[in-house]
Amino acid sequence: MIALSIAGVLAIFLLYTSIAGGGTPTLKPSQLAGHQDRVSLVGKVTGQPTGDGHDTALRFHLRDRDGTAAVPVVYRGSVPDLFKPGREVVVQGKLVNGMFVAAPGTLVTKCPSKYAPAKSSNT
Amino acid sequence: MADLGRAALFVSLGLAVYATVVGAWAARTHKRRLSDSAGNALLAALGSTAVAAAVLLSALLRHDFSFAYVAQHTSTELPTGYSISAFWGGQEGSLLLWLLVLTAYASAAVLINRRRAPDLVAWSVPVLGAVAVFFAFMLVAVSSPFETQTAPIEGAGLNPSLQNPYMLAHPPLLYLGYVGLTVPFAFGMGALLAGRTDERWIVATRRWTLVAWTALGVGQLLGAHWAYVEVGWGGYYAWDPVENAALMPWLAATAFLHSVMIQEKRGMLKVWNVLLVILAFCLSLFGTFLTRSGVVNSIHSFTESPLGPWFLGFICVVTAGSLALVFWRLPLLRTKTRLESLVSREAAFLYNNLLLVALCLTILWGVAFPMLSELVRGETRTVGRPYYDFFLRTFGLPLLLLMGIGPLIAWRRASLRSLGRMFVWPAGIAVAVGVVLLALGAGSSTPGLVAYTFSAFVLATIVLEFVRGTRAVGSFTQLVGRNRRRYGGYIVHASVVLLALGVAGSGAYGSTAERKLSPGQSLSVAGYTLTYRSLSQQRGANHIALRAAVDVSRGDKLVARVQPGKNRYFAEQQVSNEMAIHTDWLRAEDVDVIADQINPGGAIYFKVLVKPLVNLIWVAGLVFLAGALVALWPDAREQRRLAARYALAEA
Amino acid sequence: MTVALVLAALVATAAVLLVAVPFLREPAPNEDTLPEPKDSGKRALAHAEERDRALSALKELEFDHRTGKLSDADYRELVGAYRRRAAAALQGIEPAK
Repeated sequence: MIALSIAGVLAIFLLYTSIAGGGTPTLKPSQLAGHQDRVSLVGKVTGQPTGDGHDTALRFHLRDRDGTAAVPVVYRGSVPDLFKPGREVVVQGKLVNGMFVAAPGTLVTKCPSKYAPAKSSNT
Repeated sequence: MADLGRAALFVSLGLAVYATVVGAWAARTHKRRLSDSAGNALLAALGSTAVAAAVLLSALLRHDFSFAYVAQHTSTELPTGYSISAFWGGQEGSLLLWLLVLTAYASAAVLINRRRAPDLVAWSVPVLGAVAVFFAFMLVAVSSPFETQTAPIEGAGLNPSLQNPYMLAHPPLLYLGYVGLTVPFAFGMGALLAGRTDERWIVATRRWTLVAWTALGVGQLLGAHWAYVEVGWGGYYAWDPVENAALMPWLAATAFLHSVMIQEKRGMLKVWNVLLVILAFCLSLFGTFLTRSGVVNSIHSFTESPLGPWFLGFICVVTAGSLALVFWRLPLLRTKTRLESLVSREAAFLYNNLLLVALCLTILWGVAFPMLSELVRGETRTVGRPYYDFFLRTFGLPLLLLMGIGPLIAWRRASLRSLGRMFVWPAGIAVAVGVVLLALGAGSSTPGLVAYTFSAFVLATIVLEFVRGTRAVGSFTQLVGRNRRRYGGYIVHASVVLLALGVAGSGAYGSTAERKLSPGQSLSVAGYTLTYRSLSQQRGANHIALRAAVDVSRGDKLVARVQPGKNRYFAEQQVSNEMAIHTDWLRAEDVDVIADQINPGGAIYFKVLVKPLVNLIWVAGLVFLAGALVALWPDAREQRRLAARYALAEA
Repeated sequence: MTVALVLAALVATAAVLLVAVPFLREPAPNEDTLPEPKDSGKRALAHAEERDRALSALKELEFDHRTGKLSDADYRELVGAYRRRAAAALQGIEPAK
């Protein structure tokens, strides 16, 4: 009976993953090239961001944490309080014509110290 | 003084090694005094670890910045309470807390049980010692809280979002839970090593498991409330790896608490129980590992630390070692008892276990997926909320239903006739509730409606259980007093139902609205009208507070005045979001107002979330605690019976 | 600094003492073997657990019947077997006593 249930659970699981796909890739700006699908982009904010996300789109550059490859990002939605140049952030979206178009409301900052629930966007 | 701390930890390490090596030798050669000596080593380790902890605590309170740890986690302006909480605010300190709680628990377990079950304790001591060796070694060689430096003028301070009373309660409670699972694990392994196949280890650790499980549960709810109130996105659980890190051992422990009842009643599932306790312990180690190393992308922790590989290695050793032990003793543990019927309370408990473990493992898969996909494909892939929500519904809703069915079924075999009679009332009530809710519009979310209906069913069942039981016994207090575990358990089930209602309500039936407002303007959502009046600024101990005055009305009536805003912290150079919550008890919902963006000109971008029934989640926490306390309350009669039983063996 | 050293020495000494206590208390004991259940003890324990299980099953049967979970017919069907099991388990203990 236990074997049956395990089989049942596995079946549900496999059904789900085959329909919903295997997760969203998390990439650095240097890995973006060639990806047409929706990805999670992680990197450090560089340069001078413009806009506020609500009235005007937030525009900034994201570069590899240890590297120089950078990509321009355009984002609409809530901007976390901790967002500023030098901060590490994660944002979801797609690369379109060399510009990373972010999905609204998916910008999240990572806080540099441990143990801090710094999430300030509703995912 | 840092030298004293370092020396004390070194002594702790030495004692832990002694307890492990000498303890194992003493158990093997059956030497009483040597075994007592190994047990005493754990007691002494508590003393030396306490000395180290005292050194760190005093340094934190004095803001002694020559301690690198103190400089990293406090500042001179930091209020005393938070200076204390900085003890577990960083990696090194939390490891020290782990070791302190471990040695405390181990000492208590040894002292209580060494005269009653000497052979069991003799083998449990080396297991406890081995875990202590790992943590002591980490503290001495890899991650010491006693690194010194030339004292800077000012410390880095505590992260503003951690400056909250919850910081004093949430982490310690979780640690009491995580570490608490070590004791049942150690006794389980001890029983296997001693070659015992009876329930002694379960009876000895029953309360330990309950306490650890309760602490983990309450700790998580406190964390959820903290996230809801403080972090300011209107949510309380993000399926963040570190949040999951506490949920997984809790689920495994829940399964364990149920399946040991089957072993108690029917003598079956001995192997399953031992495997579950291993799973629970390994998950709690894994949880500590997730929180403390940067292996998984998480909001909670990202600094890569040298701790990672060590922890992973230790978890592998523990898993491999304990599984090998189970395999070795497998012939002893096998029983011939079989499940008599698929419709019996044992079967219901078994389904419950399977669902809990399935949920636990799918969460584990979701957490480990990024690491695994990186290893296999070279590309990190993460799973998001939809994954977790799907499995929470798939396994959680049947679990909810099972909570109502289980108590109605008899042990061994239930005839469908009596089952039908039992179900009539609760099922009827549930269907009626479902129809009413459908009419009220709850059909907008199918899982939500199902959750509500199942919850009605379970609540009806629980009430009926209490009513029928009181009628049968004659008095409510006698009923509960004589069956503390069962009725305490029913109260805990009720709390889970409340939790389900809160989660379903706020998740499936909430509303949101967002708009940029200038003073005087308003926005509407779910029948509320929110009008932004003015912006003000105030200076606090270590921050500047910006607050927007917002009026909340329903129709023409002013219902509340809330003050959402932001805090700007000087020392840490950070801004925190201060969400305003208005709780409408009559309508049973929360209105969360977030000042998402404050423009210098005074215009503010507001976000408003309406969350029905969300406060049931926190009420559930209180009910959970009450139920757990009832179940924990010592029963003198049962203690005597058990003592008599085990005196037979030790004769 | 020296205070720290003295305290550290104290901690270490206390630790060593605590660990040595069992040997200091009884330098030459009559019996230094760990009390462990012998085979007869383990059997008695297994019987005791079986006895407790049978008795508790009987109690639960009665309780389930009283609270209506078990119909009269089902109860009559099962109670005989449960009582016999409990009696057998009780008798199993007697010889070891």
